Amino acid sequence: MSHDSGNINDFGMDTISLAGPLEAKLQAVREAGFSQIMLAARDLAGHPGGVDAAVAAVRASGLRVTGFQVLRDFEGLSGHLHDYKIDIAKSMLSLCHQLGCRVLLICSSTSVHATGDSQALVKDLRKLAMLAIPMNIRIAYEALSWGRTVNEFPQAWELICEADMPNLGLGFDSFHMFATKTPLAELDLLDPRKIFLVQLADFMWTEIKSVEERIATARHFRVFPGEGVHSEALAALVMKLHGLGYRGDYSFEVFNDDYQQMPLATVAERARRSALWLGEDVLRRSVPLPNQIRLKQARGYAR
Amino acid sequence: MNTSSPAALADRESITEPANPLGLDGIEFIEYATSKPQALGQVLEMMGFRPVARHRSREVLLYRQGAIHVIVNAHAPALPEGTPTDGKPVIAAVALRVRDAAAAYRRALDRGAWAVPSRVEVMELNIPAIHGVGTSRIYFVDRYDQFSIYDVDFVPIPGVDPRPPAIAGLHFFGVVQYIGNDRADDWTEFYRELFGFTELPAEQRFGILPKGRILQSPCPPATRFYVQLIEPEAGVLDVEDDEALQRIGLGTADVLATMAELGKRGVEFVESRGVHTEDRGALTRSWLGGVSFELVHDRRG
Repeated sequence: MSHDSGNINDFGMDTISLAGPLEAKLQAVREAGFSQIMLAARDLAGHPGGVDAAVAAVRASGLRVTGFQVLRDFEGLSGHLHDYKIDIAKSMLSLCHQLGCRVLLICSSTSVHATGDSQALVKDLRKLAMLAIPMNIRIAYEALSWGRTVNEFPQAWELICEADMPNLGLGFDSFHMFATKTPLAELDLLDPRKIFLVQLADFMWTEIKSVEERIATARHFRVFPGEGVHSEALAALVMKLHGLGYRGDYSFEVFNDDYQQMPLATVAERARRSALWLGEDVLRRSVPLPNQIRLKQARGYAR
Repeated sequence: MNTSSPAALADRESITEPANPLGLDGIEFIEYATSKPQALGQVLEMMGFRPVARHRSREVLLYRQGAIHVIVNAHAPALPEGTPTDGKPVIAAVALRVRDAAAAYRRALDRGAWAVPSRVEVMELNIPAIHGVGTSRIYFVDRYDQFSIYDVDFVPIPGVDPRPPAIAGLHFFGVVQYIGNDRADDWTEFYRELFGFTELPAEQRFGILPKGRILQSPCPPATRFYVQLIEPEAGVLDVEDDEALQRIGLGTADVLATMAELGKRGVEFVESRGVHTEDRGALTRSWLGGVSFELVHDRRG
C-alpha cells in the first residue's frame, strides 16, 4: 500500500523529534506520508541560509505548518520585563507570519518574576492575541505541567474564557495532562472550537514522582503515541476530543534523546505507525474522508 | 483573587469603559499610496476633489472637498511594502481625529497595537501611527480644530481655492475593509478594543451593499463613521491573506442628485444584477485597477 492510503492528514510531526538540518527533516516527514509539520523558532533562526532560506525551504516542501513554537514565560511580568517579552512575542509573531503559519504556541509561565494575579495574566494574554490579529495568527495557550501559576489545562481554559478573544484558544498537550493526572472528564469544560492545537506524546513509565522528573521526562524521554505505557489513555483522550467535536490538528510533541541519534527516516516511520494506529485503529477511519476523495479526483483530472 | 476590592466589584458589569475612550471625532484624512499620482489625481478631481496643497519635502498632495481630506502619497521610500508597482492605488492609511493623539497612541500600544516607526523630517509633525489591516496604517490626529496638521507639513498650491466646497454635501461615511475567511470576529475585536467601535445588528444596513458586518465608530453623531467588514464569497479558497481597505464610502443626503452631479463630471456607476443604483446608494465603476467610491444615503450633509 502506498503512503497515501492511510488517513493521517490531521496528524503531523514536530521538528523537535528529529536531528539534522531543516531540509532533511522536511523531507523525512514528507516521505513518511505526512502533510504537515510543527516548527520551532530555532528552525528558522538557526538556518545557515537565514530566515528567508528557511521559509523558502518550508514552502518548497509542500508541508503545511501546523503551528509555531514556542513563546515562554510571557504572561504576568511587569515593567521592563514585560516590555522585553512583548518584543520577543513580536519577533515570534513576525516569524510565524513569514511562514504563513496560523498558530503560535505559548506555554504558561514558569517565571518566579511573574505575578499569579489572574487579572494581570488575562490582560497580557489579551494583548498578545491583539498583536496577533492583524497577522491572522491564533494564539494557543498551553498549561505547562510545571508552570508556576497555570499548570493544568482547566486553569489555562479559565484564563482563555476570561480573556475572551476570538483568536485566543487552548493548546492542549497530552503529556502535561497525564503528568498532572488531570481527570479526562475535565475536557467536558472545553469548547472544541477554541482548542487550537492538540499535541500528543506518550512516555515509558507510569508514575512521575517529582517536578524535576516531570521536566526531565518531558524534555528527553517522550515517545510517539502507542509506543509507551499510556496507549489506552491516549486512545481514550483522542476519542474524547473527537466526541467533543474537535476536528483540528494533532501534532506529535515527542522530545526524545534517542530519536535525536537515529536516522530521520526511521523516526518518521515510527511517527507514521503512530498516526496510523490513532487514525485507523482508534478513530477507525478505514476509508479516506469524503472531502479528500473529491480533492484527489480533481487533482487527477488536472494532470 | 481579591474579590472584595471595589475594582473587582466594578468589573462584574463592563460599565467602567467609557463609550468613546479616545474621544474619537471622525476621519481626518484618507491616504492613498500610488506610483502614479497624476492618474489618481484625475479620478479624485472627477469625484469633486481639488488639489489644494503640496507636502514640503515629499511627493505628496492634499486633495479636499468640503470636510473630506484625501492625501495622495507617491513618495517612494514611504510607500508600504507590497504597494503595487503597476500604479494601482491602495488605501494606505486612515487618520482618526482623537482628543489626545499621544494618549490614544499609548493606549493602543498598551492593548497590543503595533507601532509604526515614524520618519519625520525636520520641522514636520510626528503623527503617531499603528498598523491596521494589511499594509495600512491608522494615524491619530488631535490638531484639527484650532489649526490643522496641513498648515505645518504642506504648502498651499498658489491660486487655488484652499477650501473647495463639497459636491452635493458629500462627507465621509465609512471605509470598506476586505477580510479573510472567518476573520470578522478578529477584526471586530480589533476595532472594539482599540477604538471603542460597536457592532451593528444584522438588520441595520446602509446603502446598497449590505454584505458583511458593520462596525459603528463611537464618534458623536455629526462625525460618526462606519467600518464594513466583508469576507470572501463562500467557496472562494486561498484568498485568506488578501486583507485590505477596499474603498471609501461617501455620505450624501440625496444620492440621485449627487449621481447626476458626478455624472456630469464623467463618473460612471455600476449597474449589474447584484449592484444597482437607487436612492439608498450607488457604487462608482472602478478606476486604475481598483479605486472606487460608494455613495450612501445619509441625512447629514
